[in-house]
Amino acid sequence: MSELSITTIEQPPLLLVIEDSNEDFEAFQRYVGRSPLTIPIYRCLDGDEALAFLYRTGRYADPQSAPRPGLILLDLNLPGTDGREVLRKIKQDETLKLIPVVVFTTSNNPKDIEACYRQGVNSYIVKPMDFNRLKRSIQILIDYWFDTTILPTDVVEPR
Amino acid sequence: MTNQAVDLTNCDREPIHIPGLIQPHGALLVLQEPDLTIIQVSSNTLESIGHPPQDLLGKPLSALLAPKQIATIRQCLSEDFEHVNPLDIAIKRAAKLLRFDGIVHRQKALIVLELEPKQKSQKADFFEFYQRVKGTITKIQKAPTLLEMSDSVVKEVRKVTGFDRVMVYQFDAEGAGRVIAEDRADALTPYLGLHYPPSDVPKQAMQLYTLNWLRLIPDSTYEPVALVPAHNPVDDRPTDLSLSVLRSVSPLHLEYLSNMGVGASMSISLIQDQKLWGLIACHHSTPRYVPYSVRTMCEFVGQVMSVELTNKEAHEDLDYKMTLKSLQGKFVESLSQSERFLDGLIQLDSNLLDLVSASGAAICAADHITCIGQTPPETELPALRDWVKTQIQHNQFETRSLSQLYPAAASFKAVASGVLALEISQFHQNYILWFRPEVVQTVNWGGNPNKPVEVTDSGERRLSPRKSFEKWQETLQGCSLPWKPCEIEIVTELRSLIVVVILKQADDLAKINLELERSNSELDSFAYIASHDLKEPLRGIHNYSNFLMEDYADVLDADGVAKLNTVVRLTQRMEDLINSLLHYSRLGRAELSCQPTNLAEVARQAIDTLKISQPQSSIEFRLPCPLPTIHCDRTQISELFTNLLTNAIKYNDKAEKWVEIGFTESDRMESGKGDPEDPLLYTFYVRDNGIGIPPQHLERVFQIFKRLHTQNQYGGGTGAGLTIVQKIVERHGGKVWVESTIGEGSTFYFTLAARGQA
Repeated sequence: MSELSITTIEQPPLLLVIEDSNEDFEAFQRYVGRSPLTIPIYRCLDGDEALAFLYRTGRYADPQSAPRPGLILLDLNLPGTDGREVLRKIKQDETLKLIPVVVFTTSNNPKDIEACYRQGVNSYIVKPMDFNRLKRSIQILIDYWFDTTILPTDVVEPR
Repeated sequence: MTNQAVDLTNCDREPIHIPGLIQPHGALLVLQEPDLTIIQVSSNTLESIGHPPQDLLGKPLSALLAPKQIATIRQCLSEDFEHVNPLDIAIKRAAKLLRFDGIVHRQKALIVLELEPKQKSQKADFFEFYQRVKGTITKIQKAPTLLEMSDSVVKEVRKVTGFDRVMVYQFDAEGAGRVIAEDRADALTPYLGLHYPPSDVPKQAMQLYTLNWLRLIPDSTYEPVALVPAHNPVDDRPTDLSLSVLRSVSPLHLEYLSNMGVGASMSISLIQDQKLWGLIACHHSTPRYVPYSVRTMCEFVGQVMSVELTNKEAHEDLDYKMTLKSLQGKFVESLSQSERFLDGLIQLDSNLLDLVSASGAAICAADHITCIGQTPPETELPALRDWVKTQIQHNQFETRSLSQLYPAAASFKAVASGVLALEISQFHQNYILWFRPEVVQTVNWGGNPNKPVEVTDSGERRLSPRKSFEKWQETLQGCSLPWKPCEIEIVTELRSLIVVVILKQADDLAKINLELERSNSELDSFAYIASHDLKEPLRGIHNYSNFLMEDYADVLDADGVAKLNTVVRLTQRMEDLINSLLHYSRLGRAELSCQPTNLAEVARQAIDTLKISQPQSSIEFRLPCPLPTIHCDRTQISELFTNLLTNAIKYNDKAEKWVEIGFTESDRMESGKGDPEDPLLYTFYVRDNGIGIPPQHLERVFQIFKRLHTQNQYGGGTGAGLTIVQKIVERHGGKVWVESTIGEGSTFYFTLAARGQA
């Protein structure tokens, strides 16, 4: 009983957002913030930073500075190493591939959609233009991944 | 051998190089080395050199001639005969000393010594020869044309030899001759311009004329003298007299000369490129001897003239050739500027005719023939072209009397007796035919060339040289003016130039295609990437406007909120436009996934979807006949129907709206030739009773984002629907067009092949 309550009050796992657009990130944060869940978010501005964070290299060499995320939200069109490449690296890495990746992008190109699922992406969401739909998409995303779903945080963390 | 009857039927086979006979104005001795033993002599030795044959045969030459003369002969044999003949030979006869021109040559293993009595006055030396010949040669070289050179030559040769008549006689390709220059005694009938048939100079005579530069018959009524023994003892064969100056000529030739009234004749060969080009022919009404030294001079004149022939011919028609060259230049320039070289040719029009002085031309491509100027009837041309194809050699064919080779041409010989054909590409079936009209010509023959046959008293048919050399006129029909060598040459060159132009055009085309392909795919990815990148800031504007309304609702008044709403609405409209652009560019790049598709089903689904989305409107959908199944990309064709149907309903203000979808099974693809391999082509239509399109906008409706109405009318839209329809139809290899009447309705047509594109 007490064990169970400890588990439930535990903080939700870290959400890593890889997004270069400040405006898109702000819009995202705005609606995540309205969720009853308090979700810790860490943002990487581009693909190279995201890889450094995940592989704990460069300025993320200290594991303390780069905790394992429970979910990765990935934009595809990024400066430098783009989202498609980041996804490929994550899904080819024995450890990292356990972390669910949700692609959150402008691209509705069928080729991108197919390629991402082929790489093993866990969900593909096209950023809606419509304000209300955007609000709803983000609510559903948070509800689904952080409330409905059980994320493999425990498996990843004690590595 | 000697008396074997020779007539014109076997004239070509008469072995004139081994007659076993010589002319009587000299003596001939056949000698065998090493001792120069006399093994064969002419039977006139007693008369000419004072020793009967039996005294000479078997003896060494030293029995006849002094040792000094024998030494000269031996020296002569070791050198080039041409440079040492004639030898000065003297033979003692009783008290007198007979003087001869000795002419010696080697014939295989035998040595032939010919002796011609020297004329009393004759005393030639090199300087005299030089003086006499120098002026003549200068005249030959300075003459500007072939005819003027020939004129100088006949005058000079007549002056030197004293013949009644001296002519230059030129052979054509068939061996017929024509007198192109003549100098004659005033009393004689002119032969200038007369033609002589090929049988007048038989083949083996032509052959001998190229070995020997000069032949002399001092007396055409001579009695030939036999050689004794008839066969030389070395090989037991008649001695080859090809190079002999005394060789007896064919009895037919003598008959010919006598029929012509010629008492003495001399001919000098004119040789170009090792072929007999013509003759300098000399005639005298009575016997006439020409000493060896004068003959040598005439021979020299013949050789100089031969060398000059090529020069003079090259200068012939020089102005005309220059004109042709400049025309050819224009030609190529015009060809390289036109996209298809055949179009270029057709544009040249009369220039194409001027190039070869033709009066008509036909430009043949694989499937059509274009006529310029005067040509045979168009219905005759395909057959003529097909026949010409079989005649072409080295890419060309020419004739000046087409109807003789191609009897069907008789009906149009007036416009096309002459044909010059150039094959540009056998593969592409590209030919140019030039035509020349019939020119009725009169040919003056020296005697009737067609009648060598005469019937003897005994009723036997016999061929013999004609007796009459009176001018005999023949009218030539079905002939055009001949194609000049320079015209044929220019056409051959033209082909090379056209080939260069075509190759270059093919090259350019390949480059352009590559470039086009690259720029097309660049354009597609540009549209795609640009659209994506446009969306991000647009989304920012959209979101931030909403944030403003959310966060500052209490500060903003109604007007501020309305303006922000407009910003939001515009961002949504912009997104629609970007999405359309994205979709359009994706249509251009996506590969078609073609499969047999039942269009009736596709149309029904599109209709059903529309009915669901617009349940309030009542529209009658008419399908007069079930649509066929065709090979196409189902998704795209479905979109095509949806777009057309949506438009048909949208732009309709009638109370009772209807849309009709139908098709007609039209001709086979494009060509309409009915090739069963060609897929069936369907023309589909979508007809409505809507508002119609003004005629001036019919073309514009297919332009992307082109709208004919404001955003507020007819439910708005991005203006990409018809552009997408057009793209889909084009990607399927079809065409789309619209017919419309304002206020009555529009019909959109599009074609699709039953089996689709390969």
